[in-house]
Amino acid sequence: MTIDIALQTEPLFPAESKPSTGAGAVVRFEGRVRGEEKGSAIDALDYEAYEPMARRQMDKIAREIGSIHPCLAVRVRHRVGRVPVGEAAILVEVEAKHRAEAFAFLAEFMNRLKQDVPIWKAEPKS
Amino acid sequence: MASTVRILAFGPARAQLGADRLEVVCPGPLSPDELWSRLLELHPGLAPSRATIRLARDGEFLAPGARLHPGDEIALIPPVSGG
Repeated sequence: MTIDIALQTEPLFPAESKPSTGAGAVVRFEGRVRGEEKGSAIDALDYEAYEPMARRQMDKIAREIGSIHPCLAVRVRHRVGRVPVGEAAILVEVEAKHRAEAFAFLAEFMNRLKQDVPIWKAEPKS
Repeated sequence: MASTVRILAFGPARAQLGADRLEVVCPGPLSPDELWSRLLELHPGLAPSRATIRLARDGEFLAPGARLHPGDEIALIPPVSGG
């Protein structure tokens, strides 16, 4: 399985689609900033990461889940800094032979990310 | 030879600490509990969050029974909220 993980301040876009003979399923998830946080309207969220550990944990989690739900490739991008409402804070793309392992990988990856990857969101102070 | 542990604070823990890093005197190996005792002496405001802040070293959460050593860099990891 190829693993491609990065944190970036720039907006997130899907990877350029390229023909793959092995993948029968490509599943993409975008987690976007909603216009409401804890019941209040917001314009954006600020994301902070402990970057070396965040990358390491995402890689470790992807390898662990890949041993249970084998996939061909995973690409993860997480924003840091200010992310306006409507834009994606995270983008995960999974390629697998069949849809079942791609869906399972993606769901489990997001669950683990929300427990163990050191990234925090906060409402902008200004 | 180093005689301190460097503490890095992130997210809500940084606001509670009032800084993003500090040094804690550590002349020899420490347990995580001993490190917390020293941290709370310096920053009592962290006390309510102690139960939810996890400690990490070299990009990994500390395993049960881990010992800390002079020169270590220890991160305070409050509950995460990425994604």
